[in-house]
Amino acid sequence: MSAYWPFIVIGIFTGGLYGLAAMGMVLTYKTVGVFNFAYGAIAMFCAFTYWQLHDQWGISAWAAMPILFLIVAPVIGVILEALFRPLSGAAVEVVIVVSLGVLAALSAAAGLIWSQDEHLQAIFPISTFRLGSTLHVGYDQLGTLLISLSMAAVLWGLLRHTRFGTQTRAVVDNPDLSDMIGVHGDNVRRVAWILSSVFAALVGILISPSQGLDVNQLVLVVIYAFAPAVLGILFGLPAAYLGGLGLGIAVSLMSKWSNSGTVSNLEAALPYLLLFILLVVFAKRLKAAGSGAVAQRLSALRSSETVQRLRWSVGSFRIDRGLAAGLGGFVLALLVPLAFPGPNLDFLTQGFIYAVIALTLVVLTGWAGQISLAQFAFVGVGAFTAGHLAGAHGQHFLFAVVMGMLFAAPLGIIVGLVSLRLSGLYLALATLAFALVMDNVVFNRSDVSGGQTGITVARPHFFGMSFTGRAAMYELAVVVFALVAIVAYALRQGPIGRRLHIVRDSPLAASTLGVNLTVTKIVVFVVGAMVAALGGSLYGAWQQAITPQDFMWSASLALLLVVVLGGRSLISGAVIAGVVYVIPLLPQIPTKIKELIPLLVALGVIGLAQEPEGTVALARRQTRYVLGVLRPLPRRTPPQGTGAEPGAPAGVSTRRVVPSHVR
Amino acid sequence: MSDSTVTMPAPPVRPDSAVLLAEEISVHFGGLKALDKVTLEVLPGRIVGLIGPNGAGKTTMFNVLTGLQDASTGRVLFCGSDVSRWPAHRRGRAGMARTFQRLALFTRMTVHDNLVASWESSHGGGVLGRGRQQCRRKVKDVMDLLGLWPLADRLAGELSTGQGRMVELGRALCTDPRLLLLDEPGSGLDAKETATFSAILRSVTSGDDAPAVLLVEHDMALVMDVCAELTVLDFGGVIARGTCDEIRVNELVRAAYLGDASVI
Repeated sequence: MSAYWPFIVIGIFTGGLYGLAAMGMVLTYKTVGVFNFAYGAIAMFCAFTYWQLHDQWGISAWAAMPILFLIVAPVIGVILEALFRPLSGAAVEVVIVVSLGVLAALSAAAGLIWSQDEHLQAIFPISTFRLGSTLHVGYDQLGTLLISLSMAAVLWGLLRHTRFGTQTRAVVDNPDLSDMIGVHGDNVRRVAWILSSVFAALVGILISPSQGLDVNQLVLVVIYAFAPAVLGILFGLPAAYLGGLGLGIAVSLMSKWSNSGTVSNLEAALPYLLLFILLVVFAKRLKAAGSGAVAQRLSALRSSETVQRLRWSVGSFRIDRGLAAGLGGFVLALLVPLAFPGPNLDFLTQGFIYAVIALTLVVLTGWAGQISLAQFAFVGVGAFTAGHLAGAHGQHFLFAVVMGMLFAAPLGIIVGLVSLRLSGLYLALATLAFALVMDNVVFNRSDVSGGQTGITVARPHFFGMSFTGRAAMYELAVVVFALVAIVAYALRQGPIGRRLHIVRDSPLAASTLGVNLTVTKIVVFVVGAMVAALGGSLYGAWQQAITPQDFMWSASLALLLVVVLGGRSLISGAVIAGVVYVIPLLPQIPTKIKELIPLLVALGVIGLAQEPEGTVALARRQTRYVLGVLRPLPRRTPPQGTGAEPGAPAGVSTRRVVPSHVR
Repeated sequence: MSDSTVTMPAPPVRPDSAVLLAEEISVHFGGLKALDKVTLEVLPGRIVGLIGPNGAGKTTMFNVLTGLQDASTGRVLFCGSDVSRWPAHRRGRAGMARTFQRLALFTRMTVHDNLVASWESSHGGGVLGRGRQQCRRKVKDVMDLLGLWPLADRLAGELSTGQGRMVELGRALCTDPRLLLLDEPGSGLDAKETATFSAILRSVTSGDDAPAVLLVEHDMALVMDVCAELTVLDFGGVIARGTCDEIRVNELVRAAYLGDASVI
């Protein structure tokens, strides 16, 4: 037993921080209805700020801490409150997207300001003292634990025994009612955001000395706290803290065992696995466990969203403007290599392959309303399966591609089954957990992915054609994208498109009409997974070398963001996503601008989250405005001598007012 | 009174010929008994009213019947077969169609598409594009019957409540139902709309293969106007059953609607 004590002690210290982070997240979830995906990013940003103040500028801790806790963190809280306030009636998915956008924006901003990896001095002395005969405990660890415990106690006391506490509980219970009895809901929400941000700052500066100060690392560490946060949503704040402690101990113990090699990688995957299991097991309770704010959001009938008006012909396929533009674009795309045979063509190839993957998310999220943060897990399965089969095993390329898709299918079934129990935020969390488990358990295995060095993949040969050349590979990517897009387009116009639409609009009504939700959702996820795997095998064949880093969870996150930016309900949105993805890769773009792109994308996502047609809608609106403004004034006809009616001015009467729902 | 004007087909007496027979349905939410041994029967061609004060368990009953809510005990027979364990979509395909108290339209689809989607959902192979001609004909008939053509190209989400209720009825009719479950179709309707609705409801249920109807409604005028028989729920239990005239004079029912007896 004594061999375990050091691990348990370490677990308690880090666990306290997970608990603190979880409490911070539960606080805003319950009061505002926003599950803050950006929590780790806030912690990271605050830790970097403190590092700048203290380690760089030499400001003493006594001055730097008040600056951090009384100015920087509260300001972040107030900004977030202002950002999310207009979204109080928005659909769940919009809030998730905005929160992911904040995560991306803070990460991008931190990446711009600070270098990727720094070391933050510990706040407490590093020396240790002995506890009992064998146990060495660091003062920093003890200090961390004491702070996390006391902050947890302070928050708990605040909510139980103060006026702010009762007001918060009133707001949590029913925001509308509490407003009516004179509780200033906005103030309560603002305080909740501020407190939550201060907690994040605390977590950031306490956890960074041991974990390293890195733009990505801290974000990932705080995802550990998602599982205790879900516990907190279910069973209250103390459960969040205790859950954090338990998780810390479990992870620490796993690290002892994983050192002995039996459960390699499980240590890192454990928190995500727990998150996944928690969500699935407590799916029913979670639905009821929200709060007034959450319920309000759920009942919001996506009123803010605009609608693409579909043809109401029963399944007939007709050529409209969109299809014509698509076909024209396809022909143009095929001709591009004639004009630009140079190395830039490779980037376009990559863009089209990315667009294939993006299209799966358009169907899944934009059409069927299911959020997936795990698309690149499927991409990776396709890429590695096809890569191994076509490469080392010398199989036919097409066979390898099909096998890659078949390997992805069962994983699609798993996520599809999960989507039956979970929706909205919880589905997003579950898919995130799924992606992280895949990263840590599957893609990390060297027999799957060749470890950090990855595997090499051959360019495809089939039907007597070889795709080793740059132009040939490009044409292959274009054709594959066109095929996938045309199938998606055709299906969208017909009964299958309507099926996805009604399952999204009102699953309950659809099921009473005779729609089998189980089959529908599973089919959607399986097809999405298989097409993503197809994209993956193409990606591998194009890249000729793939590593696990290509398919990390963050790639799935970035995919969601660029698809939202491009327009999540449009096929052209997938094309735009491909373009946005390619721009930073082009060597012609100056580095200064390249570095700015992630931040711009993140800000664009935050701005356009409510708009299912993304930039396309923006462009359409602007064009309509410009065309409207530029329209010539009706010619003023001088009154004729006859005195008869002057005839309606042409400019006014022929144009009909655009219906409000098109906005 | 007007209930005498309702044309009733000769009622078949054998219980196994009932379109719907719900036997001793109970639902418990924790300690709360939402429904307590409720038995309900709907014979072919009948319009049966299910009334009772708010919270009496009417919508819960609907959810049990349509498979959205599991009953703690009891069973549901639909056209002679025990459907208690069937999932909602299977009951829908078998000919059970419902509307919702809080409108559950496919808000971002046109009215016409709402009906088309309904036909496709309820008919085998519809989602694969089979039976397009039948679908077109059925949707046209229903749109004609309910007078929905002026709204055909409007998005369901931008309709008024009254129009929305009509679209929900149309959507239910497109499934070729044998039983229509209408959950407060009159709420949110003005007097004129209610009159139109009751006229339409009567024309829907006239004819040989017309669906039977189970109607939950608070608007007593509408209920008395269209229903042949009534079942009254209170606190999850049946407190009375009978024709409109019998219910109107029932003391228990008057007590349940305490102070509100004028509505009956």
